[in-house]
Amino acid sequence: MMIKFVGILLVLFAGTMIGFVQAARFAARPRQIRQLLHALQRLETEISYGQTPLPEALLRISGMMQQPLTALFATISKSLSIESAGSGETVRECWENAVLAHWPSTAMKNAEKEAMLRLGATLGGSGREDQLKHIRLAMIQLQAEESTARDDQQRYEKLSRSLGMLGAALVVILMV
Amino acid sequence: MPQPLMELFPTSLRHVLEQLPAFVMESLEEIRIRENRPLEISYGSRFSFVREDGTLTDEFRAAYVPSKEQCRALLERVTNHSVYAVEEELRRGYVTVPGGHRIGLAGRTVLDKGLVSHLRDIAGFNVRMARARIGFGAQVLPGLLDFKSRTIRHTLIVSPPQQGKTTLIRDIARCISSGEWCHPGALDWGSRKVGIVDERSEIAASERGVPTFDLGPRCDVLDACPKAEGIMMMLRSLSPEVIVVDEIGRPEDAEALNEAIHAGVRVLATAHASDLSDVFARPVLAKLAADGVFGNYVLLSRVGGKVEHRIVSAEEAVQETSRRYSRTIGATPRDAPWGTALPVASVVTPSPALVTVKARPMPAIRSPDLTAARGNDDD
Repeated sequence: MMIKFVGILLVLFAGTMIGFVQAARFAARPRQIRQLLHALQRLETEISYGQTPLPEALLRISGMMQQPLTALFATISKSLSIESAGSGETVRECWENAVLAHWPSTAMKNAEKEAMLRLGATLGGSGREDQLKHIRLAMIQLQAEESTARDDQQRYEKLSRSLGMLGAALVVILMV
Repeated sequence: MPQPLMELFPTSLRHVLEQLPAFVMESLEEIRIRENRPLEISYGSRFSFVREDGTLTDEFRAAYVPSKEQCRALLERVTNHSVYAVEEELRRGYVTVPGGHRIGLAGRTVLDKGLVSHLRDIAGFNVRMARARIGFGAQVLPGLLDFKSRTIRHTLIVSPPQQGKTTLIRDIARCISSGEWCHPGALDWGSRKVGIVDERSEIAASERGVPTFDLGPRCDVLDACPKAEGIMMMLRSLSPEVIVVDEIGRPEDAEALNEAIHAGVRVLATAHASDLSDVFARPVLAKLAADGVFGNYVLLSRVGGKVEHRIVSAEEAVQETSRRYSRTIGATPRDAPWGTALPVASVVTPSPALVTVKARPMPAIRSPDLTAARGNDDD
């Protein structure tokens, strides 16, 4: 009886936790997209006013981000600096490798990833005006994603939280 | 070849270049990378194509061919992955990388209101090695000394491209700022303050303002500064005793030089020209020379693998050129051996010859006024 009771508690706890984690992902996505937008805005400034070289600009950006985006930008910047020539030759390769490696640890989805990859393919390879255009394009895409992410958050955040617990309750009922 | 420079090349290209024979590496001058065309190097004033295994060949069909991808990667690395940050350099057609090496670029130009605003589709690279040759200046410097005022005379170093002007000027600057006059009569002179206006970042190869070449202890460098403005800035605030500039040729350069000379500063400059008659044929230089600005000319020429120099004083220069021009007027073929043709007027004549020089037509101005003002001193 005791063991059964412990089991019920465990199932309930696990289900609730799954629900909470899911809800947290829904809440984190718009937040991270917002951060990404800030990052791109900063990059725009670095390129247009400072004319900072890309590795340095990305390093600065990584300093003002929160995890996991800090790690993403730091990785790109590090692999771009000449000393560590191992991870790709061009911005596109470095960017792609880093984005693919770090994306699973973020709450963002494929649409944002695509936008970032497309930006990475053009970054650093052309004049200032052109760069700014590409960055703005990526920002517009991210903004669209952000609003859908917010909708999703409103709709599914509470839902998934209660769904986790209720699902667990259902499992318990079925088992008992 | 220095390691940092090697790291600029994309891996596959680096593998090829690392296998070059050691003696070639020692005397490497240029690496020419052209998209989808054979890889060429020049070393010890010869050129050669490079096979994939690093051996040299004269047969260009057997040579290694860099691909589009490699060229793109090279461009990115040369510009530190930031083409947008080097737009000004692209407009001039070259990028200087750490170590003072200059990389000339060929591609398609983008025009903005008739001016070159940008270079795109870059498909040709010329990597020029910068070398510090300590000791080169010691051979030349004793010939430039002015014993009365215990410093150097105003000097113009003249040679065609690729003969070591910048190398020489760098080493002379080092000698002066560290007080190595290399002459028994100048042992107690002490050093002089040297100001370098380094428009192309080639003399000092400054990184974040600090020169990477040894320029002696008393040297100030204005990095990437236009020469004319730089000379004036130097005069105003840095109180140099000797000003060093590279590749003069624009009218405003001459103006600034005149300013410097009358401010009691000695000037050491270089210019592109194959010999003295060329100096007298370039409008700006001719004017400077006719005003008697320079006390010395140093002519560099390359015989075999060695750079030879010849120091000519101003009077000799005037003599020599006037002799030549009077001969030209006599309509001798240009390649005829000179010196035998005419009985030389041994007196220094402010000759009609010089007048004819000055009356030479100015080169046609091809683009609107702005470019004309910018001049053509880039090589």
